[in-house]
Amino acid sequence: MSTATLADTGIIQITKACKACDHCTSVCPTGAVKGLLGQKHSIDYKTCINCGQCLINCPFGAIIDTSSVEQVKQALNDSGKTVIVQEAPAVRVALGEEFGMPVGTNVKGKMHAALRKLGFDKVYDTEFAADLTIMEEGTELIHRVFKLAGVAGYEDRGPLPQFTSCCPAWIKYAEDKYPAILPHLSSAKSPQQMFGAIAKTYAANKQGVNPADMVSVSVMPCTAKKYECDRPEMKASGFQDVDYVITTRELATIIKDAGIDFVNLPDEEADKLIGTSTGAATIFGVTGGVMEAALRTAYEILSGESLNKVEFTAVRGMQPVREATVEIPIKDLGINLPVNVCIVTGTKYVDKVIEDVLAGRSKYHFIEVMNCPGGCINGGGQPIRHEMY
Amino acid sequence: MSIFKEKSVFTRRQFLIGSGMLAATVVITGIFAKLGFDAYAVSDDYIEKRAAGLYNLDEKMAIRKSHENSEILQIYKDFLSPGEVSPVSEKAHHLLHTKYGKEIPAMIEELHAHQHDAA
Amino acid sequence: MSEINGKVLKHGEQTRTMHWMHMITFILLALTGIGFYFDIGFIGGIFGGEANASLVHRWAGVVFTVGPALYILLNFERFARFMDTIATFTKDDFGWLKTMGGYIPFLKGDVPPQDKYNAGQKMLGHLIIIGCLLMILTGFPMWLWRGVLPAAFLAFCYNIHFWVAVILILAIAGHFFLAAIHPKSRVEFASMMMDGYIDAEISAHHNEKWFNSLQEVKE
Repeated sequence: MSTATLADTGIIQITKACKACDHCTSVCPTGAVKGLLGQKHSIDYKTCINCGQCLINCPFGAIIDTSSVEQVKQALNDSGKTVIVQEAPAVRVALGEEFGMPVGTNVKGKMHAALRKLGFDKVYDTEFAADLTIMEEGTELIHRVFKLAGVAGYEDRGPLPQFTSCCPAWIKYAEDKYPAILPHLSSAKSPQQMFGAIAKTYAANKQGVNPADMVSVSVMPCTAKKYECDRPEMKASGFQDVDYVITTRELATIIKDAGIDFVNLPDEEADKLIGTSTGAATIFGVTGGVMEAALRTAYEILSGESLNKVEFTAVRGMQPVREATVEIPIKDLGINLPVNVCIVTGTKYVDKVIEDVLAGRSKYHFIEVMNCPGGCINGGGQPIRHEMY
Repeated sequence: MSIFKEKSVFTRRQFLIGSGMLAATVVITGIFAKLGFDAYAVSDDYIEKRAAGLYNLDEKMAIRKSHENSEILQIYKDFLSPGEVSPVSEKAHHLLHTKYGKEIPAMIEELHAHQHDAA
Repeated sequence: MSEINGKVLKHGEQTRTMHWMHMITFILLALTGIGFYFDIGFIGGIFGGEANASLVHRWAGVVFTVGPALYILLNFERFARFMDTIATFTKDDFGWLKTMGGYIPFLKGDVPPQDKYNAGQKMLGHLIIIGCLLMILTGFPMWLWRGVLPAAFLAFCYNIHFWVAVILILAIAGHFFLAAIHPKSRVEFASMMMDGYIDAEISAHHNEKWFNSLQEVKE
């Protein structure tokens, strides 16, 4: 067991290259960046939620995140270890940028091929765990709705509205600033941690691998995921569920260091067992995506009907706070429930929503919160875009 | 001893050049402001392009709903809730759910106890 | 050339005030700016810490901007004449450049008669006007809109601000050397920095074309 966790030291550091331009203070959602204009800045690790928005927005590249790249390389070179990898949905539409491809190019297949070339024994996909998250989190939401409707057997469920729990930066923000809201958070782990727990139990068992010899690597668009995997409670499998998190940027560096011609790689599929995914999981990477995926599943399960049109365009968009109402016929209760949902992207904008919930004024049933503006696709671990046009 | 001073003549040429310089300043300021506004306008475009990439990928997927993922159904039947597809089972609760804030230390204790049981 | 006895009013009161103000703020801005760029704690210390030095830099920048702007508005005629002077480049000016005004020992040759400002001063005038404009245009966005402007644009402003500062500081150093230290031209110092007058003899020699356009006022 590690002694000092990343919670004590933080993921994000401001280096001496800081020009004290003060841009990051306006980007930071929690006011964790200390220092006035003209003063070299530093980060208060107590309030920093590790989101890395300051890092990708620093005009001078003066902000860095802690890296596990060396440990991952060592694990890959260690023949005694079974190294498995998962990649978040947002990685596949950004990784190509590091190799000169147009923004938004989908490199899912090339990414899988590159990871195999790098020597990962099994190349799975976080999207599988995203589907699992929808199953657990969606069911949890349904149970909370049943509790509200007074259905017997659901009295011990949590209160409404339910907040999503996929974003580790948002989780830390809620824990730090609004402990009273925690019962409203879905108890479901994030897809990354679900994947880690499943990989070292179910997958290890099926493959006949000793989980002690398994190294679970995660490729994320996110710096807060590095902190999340290091949280002391994330050891459900009996081991640290996810050993190392590397960002999209770091994966690109590793691929370049290995001399792989990424652009000309053939497309490959992820490994089976815990690597198959659906379109619902894919859109987890964009704001409103978790909501849309949950609605697709909740609607069909509650109504018993099949959706003609799976897109819920009402929850899409880039505004920081969006709301929508979806009528869901609940077969078991024989009622039509208008489900009010809210999507927040940018932790800066979540305070009012939380205060409404705490004051009992909130009309919502389900609230998605993603820390980064636009969702994971604009996460702190993504390729840095600094061109002007 | 004499004092010499400039004659106070103000020619048309001087007026035009002076005004021209002020106009040039305004133009340069305008060009610079345009650069800034343009940079501002496109600064978030990449987010929408990446989002479009994910939405396009979603549309291309054969299966677009989580509860229709064959491997998801399989893991519930084989492992999480043996024999049926029933989320939030006891095993799922142990592996896939967590606690927050003050409840974490108790949860860690529970994890340790669970490990001893297993061992 | 015959002996001329008398004095020439070269710089008016407002011009001298503006020059003083611009000089003081320029020194403050350059000093604090160098302190920021090279991360010299000592310079920040003079102003009571980095944050205060930054405040000094920003407000000195306001004076640096508003001072000349006010001067130009209040003395548009003077500004227009100045612009006309420095915008006029005749073969005499090129002649000055060919001999570098006689400042460089191995460049022999006769220096042609000059305007109120010689060719070198004219070029300095252009440099300072364009340079200051760029400093102002890049400086204020970095202060006032640092939160909303994209990182790339801030970095762009920062780089322009730095390189223009380097050029301006070097140019001003040269300007100071020629106008205050060099024995051939240091008499100019008293004119701009003090009462505005310069010896008629010197003016007739250095700025012959301008001197010939002056009118004599009997005292």
